[in-house]
Amino acid sequence: MNRWATAGALLAVGIALGLRSPHLQWKPMHNDEGVNAVKFGELWEHGAYKYDPSEYHGPALPYATALINRLGGAPDYKHFTETRLRVVTVLFGAALILLYPLLCSAVGRKAAIWAGLFTAVSPAMVYYSRYYIHEMLLIFFTASALVSGWRYWQSRRVGWVAVCGVSLGLMHATKETFILTLAAALLALGLNQFWNRQLDASGVPARAPRLDLRHIFAGLAAWIVVWLLLYSSFFTNPRGLIDSLTTYANWIGRSGKTNPHAHEWWFYFQRLLFFHADKGPIWSEVLIFLLALVGAAAGFFRKGLGDGNASFVRFLTFYTVFLTAFYTLLSYKTPWCLLSFWLGFILLAGVGASVLINLAKFQWARSATVLALVVVSAQLGLQAWQAGVLHASDLRNPYVYSPTSPNLLLLVEKIELLANVSPEKHATVIKVMAPEGDYWPLPWYLRKFDHVGWYDKIPEEPFAPIMVVSAQFHANLDEKRTHGMREMFELRPGVFFELYVEAGLWSAYVEALHQADVHTTPRF
Amino acid sequence: MIFSGRILLLAVALVGCGVAAETGKMVPLDVTLPGAAFKGTPTNIQTNSYTEPYSDAPPAPMMVPEGLKNLAPSAKLSSSSTNVSAEKLSKIVDGDKEAAEPSIVLLRKGTQYVQMDLGSPAEIFAIVLWHAHAVAKVYHDVIVQASDDPEFKKDVKTTFNNDQDNTSGLGAGTDREYFETRYGKRIDAKGVKARYLRFYSKGSTESALNEYTEVEVYGRPAK
Repeated sequence: MNRWATAGALLAVGIALGLRSPHLQWKPMHNDEGVNAVKFGELWEHGAYKYDPSEYHGPALPYATALINRLGGAPDYKHFTETRLRVVTVLFGAALILLYPLLCSAVGRKAAIWAGLFTAVSPAMVYYSRYYIHEMLLIFFTASALVSGWRYWQSRRVGWVAVCGVSLGLMHATKETFILTLAAALLALGLNQFWNRQLDASGVPARAPRLDLRHIFAGLAAWIVVWLLLYSSFFTNPRGLIDSLTTYANWIGRSGKTNPHAHEWWFYFQRLLFFHADKGPIWSEVLIFLLALVGAAAGFFRKGLGDGNASFVRFLTFYTVFLTAFYTLLSYKTPWCLLSFWLGFILLAGVGASVLINLAKFQWARSATVLALVVVSAQLGLQAWQAGVLHASDLRNPYVYSPTSPNLLLLVEKIELLANVSPEKHATVIKVMAPEGDYWPLPWYLRKFDHVGWYDKIPEEPFAPIMVVSAQFHANLDEKRTHGMREMFELRPGVFFELYVEAGLWSAYVEALHQADVHTTPRF
Repeated sequence: MIFSGRILLLAVALVGCGVAAETGKMVPLDVTLPGAAFKGTPTNIQTNSYTEPYSDAPPAPMMVPEGLKNLAPSAKLSSSSTNVSAEKLSKIVDGDKEAAEPSIVLLRKGTQYVQMDLGSPAEIFAIVLWHAHAVAKVYHDVIVQASDDPEFKKDVKTTFNNDQDNTSGLGAGTDREYFETRYGKRIDAKGVKARYLRFYSKGSTESALNEYTEVEVYGRPAK
């Protein structure tokens, strides 16, 4: 690590925060963000977290959110905002870049700087850093494990293996898919050692002093401690430890071709390399992919690596190829999963950028290469701004998946306005009815209301001052004229709610509306 | 008659509330309500021109007098939205009701209208309206008015209005919102007599812009 690498990383962090932080409240909360927010709310309000092996991933996200907000002096759950939650993933997404200077001896100083810049501007990285789900934490802890693993490999200091163990424990506590990352890393390690010994005898092999078993046990112990603490919810839910192991049977069962998220093998590549929906712009991160190919080739040919380590670059290539293959072969695909292997591509792209500069023989050629890379980065940054901020809920955006419609925010606003004219205010009874609990993220948006009932069918007594009813039910709850179906709202494309309001409350609302006691914002 | 019935019921409900309020302080009934059940990532639906609308069931037949004809194709059209030419507006009455983009006329955002001049007063019994039905969506503040005044300042008769909170400022309506489908929205005009018709809307659940695919007006010359 040197000053230039650190300065480069800090500059990249500045760019990363510039793309990740603005207007975090604009995009409506996704179904999964709503679930994560409510689970965090239970931890924040009642100190209760219980790992659910059937869905919703590990405890690292709610605990990290609680920790960061304890440090930041946060309000009670009802006064939390989307911004306050999404800041957590923004911080992990930007802090990821600060780990790269620790890889200077592995990929080279220039490569670490360029990888930091590519991480800062990659549309995929930017988009999911602004998304309150587990993915960015998994990527951060993966990079942390990679960095500390490399530093231990170099130094054989027990401190680094302990950091690696903690990082693995946190990966484990973030998302079940960490097992794929671990498998890819172990396979790559084995294959790379074989390559070093059998096929790369002409080069200088990576220094590999004998492993100290005590160090390995220290690393494993660190991992186990993190697992014990987080999955047992700090010893309040011992069952969580067993659930954290049995969950894999559930996930394997869901990975078949009949799952609702089964997609073709090219699903991730289409989104990353060339995505063009009808009437939408063209999205592409293909330049990162091409630079990664250059970086990977340099690791095998030992050309232009500068102060990088060929063995590590080869390991990184094997790791990235294995992990990409795993995610490609699994039929279960959601677009945020691509971040796991895209991290490897970005690091290799940093190597590729460094190689192109190093191989340029003349100063003018080096300057032209740097300029071209800056232009490429700026173009990626522009795409990242478009994807992450301006078109964050647009289905023509490759990273958008089953999005919540902005129209839902108008439903929330209308319910707030109705409550404002109701004498019960936030104690007004609201009944929400939708098949299979398909009303998320409304539980997050209605968190200020004290009396909200959630139903997966129309109950025997459905009537309440405010009723939000899935259009699939064809409820006709206005037949008795005590309530009226006032407006329809879109939850997701093709999924609608009907808003029923009790006649007296609606009259009060309309009267107040036209006396300017309540204000509505214009649609869109 | 239905409208009068609604007013009567609303009045009874309001009187009922008033009586209850006089008997003592009202508190919300503290009922234990079920909590929210968590739900995994929903299936991604890419909407496109092939997406089926919400309900594909045909509506019940509408009963009208014999011998009516569609008066719209010979009508003169104008609009509050200045972005469309008369030539483009004529697509609204050309008989093309397909969901494809070339069949749709796009008006600006906010409350906008299309005005139809039938040339002479007519007795109108049914109006069928298609905004856009490529994907499932709901249009807001759909209002249909009839008048003999081209400025719609006097003798305005409202045949349909689902702007229940009167955000478009044309009076609060009592009609329901509805899904756009390939069958179009059938409005019973009850034999209203007028030369001019106005069709208002204020964006949809999908977009703030206003779309019109086709309008059909079934009637006969006024006696």
